Amino acid sequence: MADVRLKGVTKRFGAVEIIKGVDLEIADGEFCVFVGPSGCGKSTLLRLIAGLEEMSGGVIAIGGKDVTRVAPANRGVAMVFQSYALYPHMTVQENISFGLRMAKAPREEVERRVKKATDMLQLAPYLDRKPSQLSGGQRQRVAIGRAVVREPDVFLFDEPLSNLDAALRVQTRIEIGKLHQDLGATMIYVTHDQVEAMTMADKIVVLNAGRIEQVGSPLELYHRPNNQFVAGFIGSPKMNFLTVSAKPAEGGLSVTLPGGAILRLPGATRPGAPTVLGVRPEHLTAGGEGDAKLCGTLKLCERLGAETMLYIALDQGEELTVGAGGLFAGEPGERIEIGVNAASCHLFDNQGAALVNGSLLRDREG
Amino acid sequence: MFPTPIRKTSAPTRAFYYVALPISVIVWLLPLFAVALTSLRSIEDLNRGNFWGWPTQTRFVENYTAVFTQSPMGQFILNSIIITLPAVAGALTLSAMAGYALAKYAFRGNLALFSIFIAGNFVPFQILMIPVRSLMIDVFPIYDTYWALIIFHIAFQTGFCTLFMRNFIKQLPDALIESGRLEGLTELQIFWHIVLPLVRPAIAALAVLEFTFIWNDYFWSLVLVQSDDVRPVTAGLQSLKGMWLASWQLISAGSIVAALPPVAMFFLMQRHFISGLTLGATKG
Repeated sequence: MADVRLKGVTKRFGAVEIIKGVDLEIADGEFCVFVGPSGCGKSTLLRLIAGLEEMSGGVIAIGGKDVTRVAPANRGVAMVFQSYALYPHMTVQENISFGLRMAKAPREEVERRVKKATDMLQLAPYLDRKPSQLSGGQRQRVAIGRAVVREPDVFLFDEPLSNLDAALRVQTRIEIGKLHQDLGATMIYVTHDQVEAMTMADKIVVLNAGRIEQVGSPLELYHRPNNQFVAGFIGSPKMNFLTVSAKPAEGGLSVTLPGGAILRLPGATRPGAPTVLGVRPEHLTAGGEGDAKLCGTLKLCERLGAETMLYIALDQGEELTVGAGGLFAGEPGERIEIGVNAASCHLFDNQGAALVNGSLLRDREG
Repeated sequence: MFPTPIRKTSAPTRAFYYVALPISVIVWLLPLFAVALTSLRSIEDLNRGNFWGWPTQTRFVENYTAVFTQSPMGQFILNSIIITLPAVAGALTLSAMAGYALAKYAFRGNLALFSIFIAGNFVPFQILMIPVRSLMIDVFPIYDTYWALIIFHIAFQTGFCTLFMRNFIKQLPDALIESGRLEGLTELQIFWHIVLPLVRPAIAALAVLEFTFIWNDYFWSLVLVQSDDVRPVTAGLQSLKGMWLASWQLISAGSIVAALPPVAMFFLMQRHFISGLTLGATKG
């Protein structure tokens, strides 16, 4: 069991800097998810931790030991690849035991570990099959099994679910979560899917263009994004952003919404020109109840059963997504009023930094 | 679908196809057929000018026995085996390892080195004749030994083999090799246990190809060896020519005998020509 510390980690491919100085601490036994858009460097960062890429600068320590110059095999990590990377000419049993056999581990030890891993992952019926005779989900379980038998301090997952279909993805997600509970090992997991990040993580690291945008628990990132990027990336459908103007008022800010409505946001005013109001679709009300009102025309309804997503064009031309009840009665083309609650609004300055975060999480914590 | 299946093309195209294809096959096989037929003839037939007609007498046993009794054919074939097997093995070993390094290691000058391997294939071997011969007489005293041919063939064939192996190994997913590294395998273990089993079809194909190249080589057999003790079968065939008259029936029979091992090699290696060995490694 081990914690992972990154200090000033950089990586350049030629002249292009992919990782631009990352500092991060992952506690022992934590489930940490790296999330970000494609090309943000999340997979590269994972490969740096694994030792598959050479660092251009910085230090990586695992379990308090500097492993910056240590070979991948001696870092106490095991990795599950997006493409599974099973050895196609070996059976499931051979695949799982291969590393141990090559390391000349005693026979009984190999058998014990393979049995433990295959029981845990319900692979016992497939031990004699070749990878080509397995389904995608089974192959992924074998890949995980190969990591489990190494009994590593740190598990590394590189988008392990992105090749699976939707149903299998949910199931495997739960299995990985269970594995984390059973083993208690530190796990670092890379994904571009923010739903996976939200559901699995103890700690989410949001990356963008080679930098960490924010580190925090799923709810922290959802309710208190540091900046407009994190606010837009976490949450689905994504947060609405409205261009507004604001001026200080007693005990907070007075925000002028499109259409002229005034919304009073509590909390200390911070320096910086507030220009963008952020509010999540599920925090807007289709009907007009709230601290302020917006008016527009309903363009499209997506009926998901449990809820209805409304796509609305405001009279001033801006577009807004609103989450409404599953039995929402409106039809496209109708006029609609939307209520905005001050407690759920975020305010960003023109650089994208958050000035005010909604108080829903604070209110709950009391 | 492209190309359009023959059965779906217009009638004239189909007719042309059905006529032209057998004709080209016959034209292609004609020399071989002539040699096979000649190897059954008697010398009288040939003296009478019966080159293409049916043999008046079948001299199968006589001619093929004569090949072995009138010349050291057995010795020549043995020489060919002694030269070809190590040469093929050496070229394959070197090229598989070089190919792995060029395909999977990122190092400065990788592409330049690979280009040299490719460029080497375009050097016409005739211009190497004088320097290689001098080298083997003056610098390394191996002229007129098995080593002369073995070492030359390994050196010369490794270029093409490396090009072939590099491109084949390049196709293997990087994750397989990285996975091996994470599991603590040495590079040699990765090469032996992961890379080699997966490029088996390529190695089999290359083995057949190289066996044929080296076995059938005539030029270097003339240039690098002299004595019957080491001369391979291709160069040895000329000893069947007789002093005053060319015994074409014996030369033909000898040629057929000499051509058999590559054919046998092909059938021996055939079961390794399996496609889709990497199936199941990745999503695919």
